[in-house]
Amino acid sequence: MRKIVIIGGSAAGMMAAIAAAKENPDADITVLTQDQLPYRRPAIPALIADYITGPEGARVFPPEALAKYGIKLILPAEATNLDPNNRVISVSSNGKKEKLSYDAVVIATGGYPLIPRIAGSDKKGVFTFTTYEAAAGIVDAAKSANCAVVIGASFIALEIAEALMHRGLDVYFNVRSRILRKLVEPDVSELLMQRFERRGLRMLAGEAISGIGAETHVEYVIHKRKKIATNLVVMGTGVKPNVALAEKCGIKLGPSGAIKVDNRMQTSVADIYAAGDCAESPELGTGRFVYSPVGSIGASAGKIAGRNAAGANQQTNGFLRAQADQILGMQIFSIGHSTTSAKEVGLEVKVHNLTVPVKSQMTKPFEIAKLLTDENDRIVGAQIVAKKHGSQFAWQLYQAVLVGENREEFLKRFNSPRMKMAEALANIVKSTVLVESIGEGKALTLADAASHKNINLVK
Amino acid sequence: MDKVIIIDIERCLACKSCEIACAIAHSKSKVLEEAVTESPRPQRMVTVEPVGESGVPIQCRHCEAAPCIEICPTGAIQRFDEQAPVVVDADLCIGCKLCMLICPFGVLQIGLEGRAIIKCDMCLERMEQGQEPACVEACPTKALRLVSLEEIIKSKRKEASKKLVKESGQAKG
Repeated sequence: MRKIVIIGGSAAGMMAAIAAAKENPDADITVLTQDQLPYRRPAIPALIADYITGPEGARVFPPEALAKYGIKLILPAEATNLDPNNRVISVSSNGKKEKLSYDAVVIATGGYPLIPRIAGSDKKGVFTFTTYEAAAGIVDAAKSANCAVVIGASFIALEIAEALMHRGLDVYFNVRSRILRKLVEPDVSELLMQRFERRGLRMLAGEAISGIGAETHVEYVIHKRKKIATNLVVMGTGVKPNVALAEKCGIKLGPSGAIKVDNRMQTSVADIYAAGDCAESPELGTGRFVYSPVGSIGASAGKIAGRNAAGANQQTNGFLRAQADQILGMQIFSIGHSTTSAKEVGLEVKVHNLTVPVKSQMTKPFEIAKLLTDENDRIVGAQIVAKKHGSQFAWQLYQAVLVGENREEFLKRFNSPRMKMAEALANIVKSTVLVESIGEGKALTLADAASHKNINLVK
Repeated sequence: MDKVIIIDIERCLACKSCEIACAIAHSKSKVLEEAVTESPRPQRMVTVEPVGESGVPIQCRHCEAAPCIEICPTGAIQRFDEQAPVVVDADLCIGCKLCMLICPFGVLQIGLEGRAIIKCDMCLERMEQGQEPACVEACPTKALRLVSLEEIIKSKRKEASKKLVKESGQAKG
């Protein structure tokens, strides 16, 4: 019986375990996780906003769901050593030590928060939020605080800021350059900063906080030589791959500092695979290996690592990064490359504004949208910000980026059916049939049916 | 799917009864008086979109080839069989929001509780007990109806034939 050990029980690790079990139902699969209970990482803002209490409120991959696949879960457990020569993993769990032998391993140890070097960042009242314990600390601190400073540029940092605002705190948001720098273009960042400010989030942009003033507990932060009084600081300044175990047993790291893998998600050591926030992953399009700590990529890479660990031989061409979030009433979608990420892999891109003509009585379908194309005018990235239903456009953008569609071809496709729909909606009162009315309604002609194909039949 | 929820735009008053009924049906207590005090507040999966002077109640289409099922990296979005609605298995949802990004109708959202994705489940629980989906039952003007595909086709045929006869009659006259 093939023995597979998975180190790490978040998205990448759990998906590796499930994929391995599906690939090889007879395999003996064990997952080691440091969590008390596997929980959904994006739930941390909900925890801070008091929508849920305790990790139980956000549990994911519960033991009973894993038992269906015959997956064993050891928790909380830490893999203290990995010996590739003898194929043995040393595990420490609840004070007990044991050794597990293996045929294949998947390392999915994730990442840990990157803390910028700011004087005073080691003081009480300064938090990160990647673990449940840290989030619980923020909740405690927020009870007695009336003002908070969140430092970061990412979706999750903004979500934390929104959650703290929901608790009634005055929230400052500090970003060194601009928000979502890696995900969207400068004018998109600018628009979002304006909208967020209007909703009450106080932006401290353009410069990093130069110091945190504290005796024992945080009292103020310094931004552009101004003191801002606060008793809670949350750092959301990015994630670093957790590669301690991999380095210890001689597994090679890539230039990004994350575990180097091949297209089968195998590391430099045979039968040891890696996926998730601890490893690099190939990028769709360029095929280059990059570090993208994104949940969906982690889960997809984990599946491939798991299948191969179970004896399959599956390769990936790469993963497309696509992220969406809803913050302070704005939906933000970012698919594929931004100018920032393209620069990192040496890809020349051109940015185009994307618009759809609208009739005056219609509300704007979206706030701002961008298309990024390479030198051959093929679409390599897209961004869209909308108040709602931005996904109506985002799904077309996603497909275009996925296949690298020619921009002009895409615009023909993007404009025509959407415009028809927009017109139909604008003329809804006059429109004979939008969605068929049965009974006393009028009959649909074939042409009507064709032009309203997308919306007429509601399943 | 043999039965689908259809919308008759001309009958919709944009009264939002469907939204309220949906939120209650997906609340813990299933009673309006208690649902309004629940925390987090119950969420609705049908939205009445204001368009011009009217509104369109819009909910999950339970697409035959559903983009959300295809894109979900963990297989959390699924249907149990061909005739079943598209549902989310919260046990597998990692909250990556890719489905939100790709849904052409924009009907998926983040659940306030637990941050898993939530969507219209066509009131599976109610349907099993022989009830109609909450939005359909609540609609005062019958703008929302649960009908079989056959019924739709049949009535369309009837209308088309009537129109043909009328038009040919006019041509002769």
